[in-house]
Amino acid sequence: MAHPTQLGFQDAASPVMEELLHFHDHALMIVFMISTLVLYIIVAMVTTKLTNKYILDSQEIEIIWTVLPALILILIALPSLRILYLMDEINDPHLTIKAIGHQWYWSYEYTDYEELGFDSYMIPTQDLASGQFRLLDTDHRMVVPIESPIRMLISAEDVLHSWAVPSLGVKMDAVPGRLNQAAFIASRPGVFYGQCSEICGANHSFMPIVVEAVPLEHFEKWSSLMLEDA
Amino acid sequence: MPSLLGTVAKQLKSHPALIPLFIFIGGGATMSMLYLGRLALKNPDVSWDRKNNPEPWNKMETNQQYKLFTVNMDYSKLKKDRPDF
Repeated sequence: MAHPTQLGFQDAASPVMEELLHFHDHALMIVFMISTLVLYIIVAMVTTKLTNKYILDSQEIEIIWTVLPALILILIALPSLRILYLMDEINDPHLTIKAIGHQWYWSYEYTDYEELGFDSYMIPTQDLASGQFRLLDTDHRMVVPIESPIRMLISAEDVLHSWAVPSLGVKMDAVPGRLNQAAFIASRPGVFYGQCSEICGANHSFMPIVVEAVPLEHFEKWSSLMLEDA
Repeated sequence: MPSLLGTVAKQLKSHPALIPLFIFIGGGATMSMLYLGRLALKNPDVSWDRKNNPEPWNKMETNQQYKLFTVNMDYSKLKKDRPDF
């Protein structure tokens, strides 16, 4: 989850998010190198005693500052396009979960085998138990098995919402009347937090998402328990 | 203009720095146009002939590759797990 004074991304919990992290490192490194170079050139230009007021053109430097930026852009574009196509691939999901946005809570439906559905409300600040996170924890978590491709079908009942979990690298708008598909794999067990990412009214900031990734046996036990309670 | 190419070629000889510019801009424009053409002709969301082929998105094979390239997926291995209508 996010922590105060955090500057970078949260640790990746899915293979796609890992790829995104590495790409961000690659692109940011290029950006830092270009900025350093430009700053150096500016300082050098401003502090030099060598001046020539009659230079009209110079073919060599023009070739360099055409070819070098073009190569840098290709170096950024190729990994970027690769990740773009990777994120869109259909990967034979093991489980399909529907996440429906309401004002102001999420409801999850696991309807592959039995009819399991429940609502997920944020825990109000005055009801927090010790150790729970303010504005992030919910009464029911969306439990998923680890290392299984999951298909999310995301929609909304009333207004626009958006289902986002940064450490899984997932964000998908919840549009009323429309079914959007997103997919992820939870690479490791853990609890991953996200928040509604499309303005949806007074409590838009108070409808978080909690995904709990557990080994398959625990997931099966959890779903049997949830079905009994329902 | 009849001798546009001739004029440009003459100017290029005295300003060779423009050659990489032509290559990159020309290459970029060509690739964009080729991709747009591919989208227009091969994308299953596009219907050119409303009478004979009104809904091409309903005619896709189970393992048809409709995207330009794949990273991790083998389209020929996809199975069909939906009912026929």
